[in-house]
Amino acid sequence: MPLTFPHFGSLKYVFVSLFHELGRYDLVIPNKPSKKTFQLGSRYSPEFVCTPFKLTLGTFIESLDRGADELGMGGGHGYCRFRFYWQVQKIILEDLGYDCSWIRIDYESTRDIIQVMKSISVGCNTLQTIRAFQIGWVKNRLTDLTDQLLFKYRAIETEKGSSKRIADEAFKLIVSTRKMSKIRKLQKTIPKMFAENVEVDKKANPLKVVVNGEIYVVLEPALNLDIYKRLNELGVITKTPVTLRRFIDIGQRLNPFKKMDFQIANSYGVKYVPYRVGGETQENLGDAVLYKKKGWNGLVHLYPFTCMPEIIARSIFPQVSRETDMPVLSLVVDEHTGEAGFQTRLEAFVDLLESKREEMLKKRKTKIASH
Amino acid sequence: MSKKVGIPRALIYYKFATMWETFFTQLGAIVVVSPETTKNVREVAIEIAPDEDCYSTKILHGHIMDLKDKVDYLFVPRFGSKHKTDMGCPKFIGLADVLRSLYPDLPKLIAPHYNVAKYGHTKFDFFKEVLKVGFVFTKNPFRIIKAMRKALKADKENKKKLIIDMETLHLWEQSAILLNIPPDEIKDEKTLKIALVGHTYVINDSFCSLDIRKKLQSYGADVITSEQMPRELIDEQLDKLENRLYFEFEREILGTIMYFLENGGVDGIIHLMIFSCGPDSLAGELANRFALKKQDIPLLQLVLDDLTAEAGMKTRIEAFVDMLRWRKEKHATHIPTLRVS
Repeated sequence: MPLTFPHFGSLKYVFVSLFHELGRYDLVIPNKPSKKTFQLGSRYSPEFVCTPFKLTLGTFIESLDRGADELGMGGGHGYCRFRFYWQVQKIILEDLGYDCSWIRIDYESTRDIIQVMKSISVGCNTLQTIRAFQIGWVKNRLTDLTDQLLFKYRAIETEKGSSKRIADEAFKLIVSTRKMSKIRKLQKTIPKMFAENVEVDKKANPLKVVVNGEIYVVLEPALNLDIYKRLNELGVITKTPVTLRRFIDIGQRLNPFKKMDFQIANSYGVKYVPYRVGGETQENLGDAVLYKKKGWNGLVHLYPFTCMPEIIARSIFPQVSRETDMPVLSLVVDEHTGEAGFQTRLEAFVDLLESKREEMLKKRKTKIASH
Repeated sequence: MSKKVGIPRALIYYKFATMWETFFTQLGAIVVVSPETTKNVREVAIEIAPDEDCYSTKILHGHIMDLKDKVDYLFVPRFGSKHKTDMGCPKFIGLADVLRSLYPDLPKLIAPHYNVAKYGHTKFDFFKEVLKVGFVFTKNPFRIIKAMRKALKADKENKKKLIIDMETLHLWEQSAILLNIPPDEIKDEKTLKIALVGHTYVINDSFCSLDIRKKLQSYGADVITSEQMPRELIDEQLDKLENRLYFEFEREILGTIMYFLENGGVDGIIHLMIFSCGPDSLAGELANRFALKKQDIPLLQLVLDDLTAEAGMKTRIEAFVDMLRWRKEKHATHIPTLRVS
């Protein structure tokens, strides 16, 4: 039974290698979502459901047409609608005449992840499953690292497209490496690959903008119209603190000496929203404070239309921005988002950041001169 | 001087009205509940509320504006859930923070937090939160405990009165009794039975729901609402779904629709949805698909938002009721002929 899952940015590579570790080679790797995927998805979706529902449904229909009949999706219960997606999608797909079975993972409970993975694996025992899961989360660290390097180098490269080429090579390397010791070594190899093979403009003084928001929108380039590429082309270094590792990186979560990014951000966000409201609301608000302290220039907050937790964040962001003096741009994304409008807003935001930086420099110069 | 506490007449006020009012009156506070929603409130709300919030949350902003100069405290609880897995709406938990952030000049907010599903709060935690709220008004803990007991008792009694038992439901389904007292002018007509399904804060807000309850009654229909349904029926219906529907307020809505689609018992179902309500979008789709498979009970889904025009909705409701009446009459004439043959 060929297995498939929603397209999820560079996490696609993690999922593929995870299933390979579990002995599943009968995968239908989802195509990158296109305009047609959006159309397919929104044709059969409820009217005002959030956009990830439509996109994942579209991807599933395309994958089912290509021969898949086992679908992997999040399940369980939580604040957000995401866990209930599969139930509705199942009924929609049944009505459309597809015959498929579902694998649903409650990704917040480690026990459930391991149980489900064991049940879909080809003859893995519990220990082997845990080992495969470990390889999954370590590889996720690598894909995050690659993404981070790509978003940095692409902004300052001299030859257009060279860093993207290296990133693709790195992803291939991540998927093909199987041994744990070799995977660990990649953590050093990948930065070296970028440093050696990408020529950078050393005089450039790029702005730094952090992108955060709802996890699916932030990590899926088809949905956020590849905002990282757009910002990089404007000469801005970007980064995203949002990652799935928050749920699956048990190694780092158990490490008492290391705090994960989201935990630090959360400690700043609690001031504005004291209790969890689901999604990444607290972390996103905290990021504005955290990255201001780190010296970043601005923040772009992305969320899908009608997303419940992020609307709370969006309503509080003006206050955070005012108090910390961090420019914040909130962007709603859905299937109707026009590229031109999106680009114009980003350009205006970057222009604003640039003029703000110049002003700051001028102030500092006059301060030094007066001393 | 006793302190004034303001409660906006929106969202979960409709669920816990008696409990809150009894509690604060027992503590010796003056309870100021904002008046019913009016056109004016809506206009204020739409102007100041965040664009992407759902219609009902927007309305709350209007009520807050109405109250803010009249009271010393505003009561906007962060109600998460009271079930092990089921959640309320995440917006209700963040509401107090959003209000404080948007309008810094508001009176003091009283925002206790209670969330069993994600924080594992126990009865003791609930008690602690109650004490925290109570100490704002009085220094006597025994008075707070007494007020809490009375409030919980009042809430229980109110629920008992509201939620009908199975026997009454079956009698109503067989048209033996009426749940509402019909208006005088249509007493002799054959009454239709309609299930009116939607969030408590939509059905009971006569302005937001375009006074649909009264309208249906004046067309000669007896209405049962989703909040009146026995809980065990709803749980029984929702167990048929493979994933537990974990939205506490949505459960009664989808459960009611599924029950009536399966068992008949009503002539039609009207589902009031709120635009951009998260759970409604999924439950509405499910209801829609279930209704398409079971075509003997007609389902009308109306999506309400701040642009809803009353005339258009009225026409649709009238047309729906006419259709139901026509169906019923056709049915009535058909059944005898079937028996003869």
